[in-house]
Amino acid sequence: MSRKVTITIDDRQLTVPEGEKLLWAALDNGLYIPHLCGFRESERPAAGCRLCFVEVEGHPNPVTACTEPAVEGMVVMTRSPRVDRLVRTAFELIISNHRLDCANCAKNGDCELQRIAKARKLKLKLTRLRQLVKETPVDDSPQSFSYDASRCVLCGRCVWVDHNKAKVGAIGFIRRGISRKVSTFGEVCLTDSRCTQCGECVKVCPVGALTFKEAADK
Amino acid sequence: MGLMEGELEIIRAEVEAVLEKYDLDREKLIPILQGVQVKLGYLPKEAMRQIAEALKVPEVDVYGVGTFYNQFRMNPPGKHQFKVCMGTACHMTGGRIIMESFERRLSISEGETTPDREFSLERVACVGCCALAPVVVVDETVEAKVRPTRVDGILLGFGLERAAPEKTAPDEGIDQGEEGREQ
Amino acid sequence: MSDSALVVEQNYEQLKNLALQKHGEIKEKPYVLVGTATCGRAAGALGVLDTFRNEIDNRQLDVNIIEVGCMGHCYAEPMVIIYKPGFPPLCYGSVDEGKAARLVTDFLIEDDPCFEFAMAALEPNDLFPTFGDYPRGVYEQKVILADCGLIDPENIDDYLACGGYGALAKALAMKPEEVIAEIKDAQLRGRGGAGFPTGIKWETCHDTPGPLKYVICNADEGDPGAFMDRALLESNPHQVLEGLVISACAVGASQGYLYVRAEYPLAITRLHTALEQARAKGLLGESILGSSFSFDIEIFKGSGAFVCGEETALIASIEGHAGIPTHRPPFPAVSGLRGKPTLIDNVKTLSYIPHIVQKGADWFKSIGTPNSPGTAVFALAGKVVGTGLVEVPMGTTLRTLIYDVGDGIKDGKTFKAVQIGGPSGGCLPESALDISIDFDSLREAGAMMGSGGIVVLNEDDCMVEVARFFLEFVQNESCGKCTFCRLGTKQMLDILTDITKGHGRPGDIELLLDLAEDIKTGSLCGLGKTAPNPVLTTINFFRHEYEAHINEGRCPALMCKDLITFHISAEKCSKLCDACVGSCPVEAVYTRPDMLKAIHLDKCVKCDNCLTTCRTLYDAVIKKSPPAAEEGVS
Repeated sequence: MSRKVTITIDDRQLTVPEGEKLLWAALDNGLYIPHLCGFRESERPAAGCRLCFVEVEGHPNPVTACTEPAVEGMVVMTRSPRVDRLVRTAFELIISNHRLDCANCAKNGDCELQRIAKARKLKLKLTRLRQLVKETPVDDSPQSFSYDASRCVLCGRCVWVDHNKAKVGAIGFIRRGISRKVSTFGEVCLTDSRCTQCGECVKVCPVGALTFKEAADK
Repeated sequence: MGLMEGELEIIRAEVEAVLEKYDLDREKLIPILQGVQVKLGYLPKEAMRQIAEALKVPEVDVYGVGTFYNQFRMNPPGKHQFKVCMGTACHMTGGRIIMESFERRLSISEGETTPDREFSLERVACVGCCALAPVVVVDETVEAKVRPTRVDGILLGFGLERAAPEKTAPDEGIDQGEEGREQ
Repeated sequence: MSDSALVVEQNYEQLKNLALQKHGEIKEKPYVLVGTATCGRAAGALGVLDTFRNEIDNRQLDVNIIEVGCMGHCYAEPMVIIYKPGFPPLCYGSVDEGKAARLVTDFLIEDDPCFEFAMAALEPNDLFPTFGDYPRGVYEQKVILADCGLIDPENIDDYLACGGYGALAKALAMKPEEVIAEIKDAQLRGRGGAGFPTGIKWETCHDTPGPLKYVICNADEGDPGAFMDRALLESNPHQVLEGLVISACAVGASQGYLYVRAEYPLAITRLHTALEQARAKGLLGESILGSSFSFDIEIFKGSGAFVCGEETALIASIEGHAGIPTHRPPFPAVSGLRGKPTLIDNVKTLSYIPHIVQKGADWFKSIGTPNSPGTAVFALAGKVVGTGLVEVPMGTTLRTLIYDVGDGIKDGKTFKAVQIGGPSGGCLPESALDISIDFDSLREAGAMMGSGGIVVLNEDDCMVEVARFFLEFVQNESCGKCTFCRLGTKQMLDILTDITKGHGRPGDIELLLDLAEDIKTGSLCGLGKTAPNPVLTTINFFRHEYEAHINEGRCPALMCKDLITFHISAEKCSKLCDACVGSCPVEAVYTRPDMLKAIHLDKCVKCDNCLTTCRTLYDAVIKKSPPAAEEGVS
């Protein structure tokens, strides 16, 4: 269908559809770029997590791979001192507001944050930044899953599937700034909301915020 | 927070009246919320639910918009509102001190309403009267160059009014949990 | 000239002549202008207005009273201008009810112009100096503020009589490309803050094909220390409307929006009136002035979110969503409101348009500097004598702006810094005062033109606290979408808060600098990208203040509450005075057995009341930092 273009990512020549965002072009070809908020189905990238920075030749500063379309002859580097520095800071900022208790987390071993830490040799521990996590009660009300807001990284995947795939409209982003969070109308627990407990949102959560209960029992 | 008797009917009717003035289109959400708040002083959950149904958008999205913007209140405001300007000029000329004077005198914190629902205290980012800093907006009137002594003066004015004989007993304290704070 | 151009010209001339005729009638008898913009009202202008009305009614005088906007001299509000045949038009400052009554009896009835309260005359004459005879008038060059405070914002005829909407008539007779070429040639740069060339934005929007396009006037002035847009909207709304209609005509838009902060109710009211009047005169709506161009404007009230000043967030807000920015490109000029090409310009930018179309690009370029032509409008506030709105040519130095236009520092204090550009800008010290004000020089200095808020700071202002204030503002206003802005500025704010409370740690300054750099590069939108500027400039120029807080627990400006204590100097205190005792809201000030006064530190809430009260009496209340112990009775 669409035209193909040849681009270079980390010295590898790739043929990808023209205009494909670099993040997907790289991932499809086995090149990992850290990312949380990016997911393919969403028509417009949120570009909120700020983890997928890459260097593109000719650009003065690193750019986010989820927003940058592939153009013929483009030369991309997934790593550089500048990229590494930005990714490290963004990662540290995210974990400064994420309840880090991996040993007791249902997603231990299958967590995007752990994957990023491993890929980029980053510590899952705060060294220079302050702990910002506020203790919030876990919403255990649904039968098969639970929601721990203190582990949420605000990637928005759950909100997207709730609205667009499951078409329920039970959860959404509320408030703003540091108080921004994923919650329900009136901030009631999930079973008191329109939630149908279909579990679609749990499947897309990259971290341990939305987890199936049987996983936790394992 | 529970509604008082008859309140639900009033909310329904007011929201209906506002909805009639607009196309039932997602784009009209913010003007509709503004219209409802003008009528009711805040956005009751029942009102937001009714708006969501009319516009055919998920109710959580209406709530998301309502909690995003500074102007929207989730709880009823006091009969009189004090808005302390916290713009740059006001801050540097003692806006914080003025806020603290109000907090001390009213025994409430910024963003709260007194238990009798007489007064609410808010901060505003800037009312554009920087040359007259620090300023306080008392209901709709801008007070210029306010000092802590002027705070006493402002409250004295209302104190006389509060002492009027028709004053009813204060309502039960209203819940001022996290959602009462407008941030 | 084509037929349609002829029709436009005829229609316009007719409107203008009618307006001139009405204007001439008003000028035949005395009239009083009362400045009732928000700032004037805050200073009591409505009371003054009532006094004039009552006095003039009671005496059955044939005098018109007209409410006008703001002349920019906020330090002298409320302001009144009196036109009386046989006298030069005279402007009076700090008018109260008493002075208003005197002006009626002495000037309007008798012929004594009360020179003792007059500020200046508006026209050269033999009796009284004009504004041009004062330094402020010498250095100011008013273009978009020229008519503010002099014309009736609620009467379109006043604007028409001054030649208003002439530029629209001219633009309607031109090809859109010609209008855009003129704006490009003028090198007008967007006055919203970033200084992007306006003409290029217009061209992009014009060149993007599409049957439906929009123009938006961004009047979401959220910078906490800026009020230029408010003053322009309240004082001369038609100037902005004319600019917006011309922009629509140039890019081919059929619908326009005015996105106005809800905190500006008077501006909204006056805009509504202006829109109705423009429609009634055929200056808005179907086939404007008889041309083939149709266009209308709707007002959209913002709901309180600073981030909505960002174009993509503003669009999200009009579309009924939370004001959350999206990645650019696509830029709104290509894909904006409802996915259609959308041109967004700031109030000030649009206000220049009629002037450029009328007087040409060369005239505009003759003002200011080669890279930043034209004038700059600033809201001058803080510890400066002549607070208010000023308009100076680009290239004016900060020193001239503060010391000549603004008449120096208040209360004989020492200048410390000037905060320019609000939360996106920075604090510049004495040594930077000779840099010229233009988009590029300010950016090089680490500040930013921003929207034009200037807050002058003196020796009593703590620079760490200033930085903390702006970060707190950004934190409150961050949309929360992107990691760097939501969490990065929170981390910085927590560090700064600790420093101002005396809990700073070694290494904090370096961590702030590291975070600042990453937030600047890594944030999604302009709000985050510029958020670290106030911190970076204060560390750069006032690092010693940070160090004093961290290393010595001392606030050099004696401002940070946790690092100061209040005391009463026994040498200065008078045994006979107890004004401070009465001023204390918490009974912390007491009279010692020897009749001198002292302060219970454990009760003191550091509200400043006693200090302010005593300052004019004995100046005995002092602040100490680091905190000192209470001085017992000797």
